[in-house]
Amino acid sequence: MNNTSNIDKGIFAKRKRANKIGLSLSMGAMLLGMVFLFWILSVLLIKGFSALDLSLFTQSTPAPGSDGGGLANAIVGSLLLIGTCTFFSTPIGVLAGLYLSEYGDRSRVASITRFVTDIMLSAPSIVIGLFVYAFVVAQVRHFSGWAGTLALALIAIPVVVRTTENMLRLVPGSLREAAYALGTPKWKVAFKITLRAAQSGVMTGILLALARVSGETAPLLFTALNNQFFSTNMNAPMANLPVVIFQFAMSPYDNWVELAWGGALLITFAVLGLNILARVVFREKVQA
Amino acid sequence: MPDKHLSSQFDADLNSLSSRLLEMGGLVESQISTAMRAFTSMDSETCDVVIENEKLVNELEIQIDLDCTELIARRQPTARDLRLVMAVSKAITNLERAGDEAETVAKRTKRLIESNVPYKINVAEIRLSGQMAITLLRRSLDAFARLDTVAAAEVVAEDRQIDEEFRGFVRKLISYMSEDPHIISTGLDMLTIAKAIERIGDHAKNIAEFVIYIAKGADVRHIPHEDLVREANK
Amino acid sequence: MMSNMNTMFDLNKIDSQGGRVDTTNQQPAQAAVNALEVRNLNFYYGSFQGLKDINLDIEQGKVTAFIGPSGCGKSTLLRTLNRMYDLYPGQRAEGEINFYGQNILSPGQDLNLLRSRIGMVFQKPTPFPMSIYENIAFGVRLYEKLSRSEMDERVEWALNKAALWTEAKDKLNQSGLSLSGGQQQRLCIARGVAVKPSVILLDEPTSALDPISTGKIEELINELKHEYTIAIVTHNMQQAARVSDYTAYMYLGSLIEYGKTDEIFIKPKRKETEDYITGRFG
Repeated sequence: MNNTSNIDKGIFAKRKRANKIGLSLSMGAMLLGMVFLFWILSVLLIKGFSALDLSLFTQSTPAPGSDGGGLANAIVGSLLLIGTCTFFSTPIGVLAGLYLSEYGDRSRVASITRFVTDIMLSAPSIVIGLFVYAFVVAQVRHFSGWAGTLALALIAIPVVVRTTENMLRLVPGSLREAAYALGTPKWKVAFKITLRAAQSGVMTGILLALARVSGETAPLLFTALNNQFFSTNMNAPMANLPVVIFQFAMSPYDNWVELAWGGALLITFAVLGLNILARVVFREKVQA
Repeated sequence: MPDKHLSSQFDADLNSLSSRLLEMGGLVESQISTAMRAFTSMDSETCDVVIENEKLVNELEIQIDLDCTELIARRQPTARDLRLVMAVSKAITNLERAGDEAETVAKRTKRLIESNVPYKINVAEIRLSGQMAITLLRRSLDAFARLDTVAAAEVVAEDRQIDEEFRGFVRKLISYMSEDPHIISTGLDMLTIAKAIERIGDHAKNIAEFVIYIAKGADVRHIPHEDLVREANK
Repeated sequence: MMSNMNTMFDLNKIDSQGGRVDTTNQQPAQAAVNALEVRNLNFYYGSFQGLKDINLDIEQGKVTAFIGPSGCGKSTLLRTLNRMYDLYPGQRAEGEINFYGQNILSPGQDLNLLRSRIGMVFQKPTPFPMSIYENIAFGVRLYEKLSRSEMDERVEWALNKAALWTEAKDKLNQSGLSLSGGQQQRLCIARGVAVKPSVILLDEPTSALDPISTGKIEELINELKHEYTIAIVTHNMQQAARVSDYTAYMYLGSLIEYGKTDEIFIKPKRKETEDYITGRFG
């Protein structure tokens, strides 16, 4: 009996050691990642905080050399671009996702759609920007907000399609069957039952697509470009935060650099906020 | 039962139920034999043996009934298993009453011995029907063990002979008693003994009817004999 | 009662064997109406035959139970009765199923309308992601136009029928998912009853529930059968014995025996049936 308890002790000690090693390695990796995240956030806060005052939201971007100024036009421009992008990409994306999940499923059209969506998801955003430039901007010979919206939509739609389809697939078949068993026609089952059951997941997908396009710079460079003045005319170049940051960050003017940091701070925390919102929405509905 | 249940415990319980019934049947059979022997030889001690063993019969009835109830509670038997349990529960009642009749024979015999009245009644019918009753009971239990419905139908038919013997004896007794009033009390004891034997035959018939119920699912009590034979031969 | 007593003491009515002769007037049996008549039904999952030449009647106003070991085809048969299999390509049925005389397997059949007349409750309770009130109103709105007060009445009626009204009346606006498992299943039953179908199909409705919820639903079936025809698939034989009027035993896609539940459980005609219900399966 003594022998077995000694052997047990040996095995136990070895396991404890292995456990400790594994745990420390994982903790170390996590800390490494966290360190960079907090480093970035703190640098942003430190450098951008000084730019945070009312004028940031009330004054437009200053002319080269002039003092002060704010980011009002860029903020409004970004909101317009993202807003219109969402307005168009949400219904297209959700309906496409609905089709893939509920109607097409195994058909030829469905598999081609999925293939194209996957490619678009990983396409470099600058390529999309160039595409819109070539086919829209060059044709009408001017930059515009609408071109920017188009470029952003081409990035957002695949995200919405993918997440919508995945969330719809997660809805158990038994729920659909229960609806069919009442005599519900197919489209009603899809829209009123399945989509409704997956609504928090689908909304999360939309929010994530939003968060993604909020920070895209390259496509806007070729489409909406930028606007020094305050404007809400979508047919003309539209001011937006990413391009402003691009322009101001490497400039020799101090107030421009400061404004760039401020803009970076705004974007980062907006994206962070959207992600947190997406999580909260999802968790709430799941527990209902 | 040819086929086995998925639960071997269930098989064991059902088999045990059947064998306990047969055990009780054997006990009652020997009680009747002993009582008849006591009557034929007019031996008081043999009577006492029967009276003494009666309580064993009663105990068996109670135990087997409990087994039946537990089986129903635990297993919720259906179809032929259900019919078996229901039939066993009723058959042990018949056996217990047959045991009572054997005790009656012993007690009345004892009274005849103690009253010591000389009589000249020919008791051949009693001895004969006693033999027949024992044989009938044995055959009904045999039919139960083998679930042989044809043999059971024959038992039901032959119970009639015991009934006829009884009626014959009653007629004889009436003429004896009307000739000699002194032997009336003796005659009444004899009548009781003869009636007890006739009832044993009826109990054997009932057990045979249950055999047909278990095997064929038909309740053949109180139906015309031709119908009973038809059900038994299906 | 009185007529029985007369017969008991009337010696003329006792035959030579001592058996009683029944002289009460025999009323002609009322013709049983069949809600569903299945004729020569064969069913295929691709190339695999799931049902083989099924012929049986489901009587109106009665509960018919389907029992048998796993894979015997009882759920398959139930799902042909409301053509649920149509949702899945590769599954097909051949033969006839007459619903009050109309063959529901014919190609032009309006499936949605059919399913509103023949409802189904499934093994897993599946409340819709809406309030309790909306769960029930959803089905009703598909085919009927009711005013707000009429709909309120219908919801209350349906929940009463499912013995859920007292527990749910104060939380009609809460999500259907906030109910317990047994309550959710009763909600599904209320949902099915609310559209007033002729037939209700139950596919192992209590398999996922505890004994008390099961008991409540069995009691419900007992009350519902006065107004609806019910077909129930169950793997619990005692449940079939408790709730049904007729029982069908199936094995490997064929119908082995069909008859009154009492007869099946006391004196089945086929040895296969007896072997199954007594547990002599092996």
